[in-house]
Amino acid sequence: MDNLLRIQDLTQVFGTRNPNYAVDRVSFSMPDEPSILSLVGESGSGKSTIARIALGLMKPTSGKVYFKGTDIFTGDRKWQKQFRRDVQPVFQDPYSAFNPAYRLKRVFNIAVRNFDLAQDQRKAQARIEESLDSVGLDPDDVLDKYPHQLSGGQRQRVMLARLHLIRPRLIIADEPVSMIDASMRASFLKLLVSFRDNLGISTLFITHDLTTSMYLGGRIIVLYKGRIMEHGDTPDVTRSPQHPYAKLLINSIPVADPSQRWDSMLPASVDSANRASMNRDRCLFAERCGQVMETCWQQEPRVLPQENAVQRDVACHLYEKTLENN
Amino acid sequence: MTITLQIRDLSIGLQSTKKITQIISHVNLDVLPGEIIGIVGESGCGKSTLAIGALGLIETPHVLQSGSVLLTLPDGSTTDVVRSSPEALRDLRWRHIAYIPQGSMNIFNPVMRIRAQLTDTLVQHGITEREAIERVTHALHLVNLKPSVLDQYPHELSGGMKQRTAIAAAISMEPAVLIADEPTTALDVVTQRMILQELVKIRDTLGVAIIIISHDMGVMAQVADRIAVMYAGRIIEVGAVTDIFKAPLHPYAQALLGSILQSGHETDQVEILEGESPSPWNYPTGCRFNPRCPHTMDRCRTEVPDLILRRASHQVACHLLDEKVSNHG
Repeated sequence: MDNLLRIQDLTQVFGTRNPNYAVDRVSFSMPDEPSILSLVGESGSGKSTIARIALGLMKPTSGKVYFKGTDIFTGDRKWQKQFRRDVQPVFQDPYSAFNPAYRLKRVFNIAVRNFDLAQDQRKAQARIEESLDSVGLDPDDVLDKYPHQLSGGQRQRVMLARLHLIRPRLIIADEPVSMIDASMRASFLKLLVSFRDNLGISTLFITHDLTTSMYLGGRIIVLYKGRIMEHGDTPDVTRSPQHPYAKLLINSIPVADPSQRWDSMLPASVDSANRASMNRDRCLFAERCGQVMETCWQQEPRVLPQENAVQRDVACHLYEKTLENN
Repeated sequence: MTITLQIRDLSIGLQSTKKITQIISHVNLDVLPGEIIGIVGESGCGKSTLAIGALGLIETPHVLQSGSVLLTLPDGSTTDVVRSSPEALRDLRWRHIAYIPQGSMNIFNPVMRIRAQLTDTLVQHGITEREAIERVTHALHLVNLKPSVLDQYPHELSGGMKQRTAIAAAISMEPAVLIADEPTTALDVVTQRMILQELVKIRDTLGVAIIIISHDMGVMAQVADRIAVMYAGRIIEVGAVTDIFKAPLHPYAQALLGSILQSGHETDQVEILEGESPSPWNYPTGCRFNPRCPHTMDRCRTEVPDLILRRASHQVACHLLDEKVSNHG
């Protein structure tokens, strides 16, 4: 069985004189069974670039993206049309995702028309209403409204209702909850989980906020400067991160409990504006790592599976060593 | 004890062609010297409007409807920020009360070096160029930036460095009050942690009272001494950070805390707060939380609850607590 999504040695370089490796030989896959995979990292880690390439919005410098076994940039028109239906985006900003001049029912009517979702108007209407119900919105209340009459949280749920109607195989969601209120986030994420469990829709979830990916569960990839640092089951990685960067990331989450405050000051950051070195033949986290060794400056760590952990890959010389010693 | 900033009965409206819509209503809040007070609430609850009120930055289309903001000056006298002349305000701001606006990493002029952008304000306040450089260098040191930043242009700095530079600018006059509106919202968690820890250090070093506005309860739990919870233009609960997190009394504060995603919590442990917060154009009468509140009583629909001291240093605006008292009595 082919993987639903397989990304192989994906590289995206911006600029030629000062090449900026947004994505650097990244490989991962999502299984055919419904699943959720989170890509987390800070700004500049390449997570959004991967999302844009996987959506087919831009061609990578090198590497391949396969959807159900087919390279997404080689499929014919018919395949492309099916791909457009099977892979659906949810973007960050719910305020710019809708055309402000049209009522919201147009969002659904266009989807019905483009993807031939219903034979006649009455059936279409029934399906649209069912989809809105499923995300907790009242069809009579929403369909005749304009986007500006809805809050950010409602708009993101309208996006989910549209996906419920289209029933894609894969949702690629780029920071979908970062602009909506905390109290709305949980219900949005809950819907993504129920889409996986009840409709068989997988999600590639891009976020800088680890708490949201913890909530979603599934698997997680921690990216740093375009490279994979750690890859594993979300509960395992968040409970016992192995890569020093993943550790730093998880220890920096502000826990909403005043009795669990950060006990130590983080060391003052290395000024990231002055690049320590343009050399990429090394661990890119070396200058910020507390456990840096000489090898880290000279050799790029490979993404290696960890022996004692189930399906956990870590790119760090610290763990390569223990593996060899064993 | 002197109170650094006393916000009293502050109401601010939004002027349209036909009418004035009230955004925040009768807000009372004391800011104590050297404390970090967090103002939390969902988007649209009036957090940022309260900030501009506290700064005396109320400009059209905003209008002052009632109240005062009394700032205690170093000589012990007080001055009402919202009724000061523009000249008096210019002198107050930065020297006594400073502001880090939302998205402040984008406040710098892209074609000027940082040096000129930081020292200009100080020179405007009658400080010599040389002293201005000294003060700015000291302020940069407090946020872990090297003086070499002064010779750089904004585009040469990362987002976190720009945010730090904005903080350094705000503290360079060593004000008594610093208002930070979502100071870390667009930053990654590691940078966020460093900047929050720097803000705490600044408070410890300079003794400045810091008002942090944020929708992130995690940020609040980490740095705030006290928390004020806002809902639909009103403050509904104020208390010490541990009281608010461990034993919130207002049903909205309880729901807000129950709805946050916590590391280590599973999906089912998060309660979902149904409904949407009302916009200023249709604030409900009585308690503004009554349409979403699980404990609504008849009184709640008609009568606005006052913000009353219910526990030691813990104020709550909810009729429910009256009922409990009378039941026991």
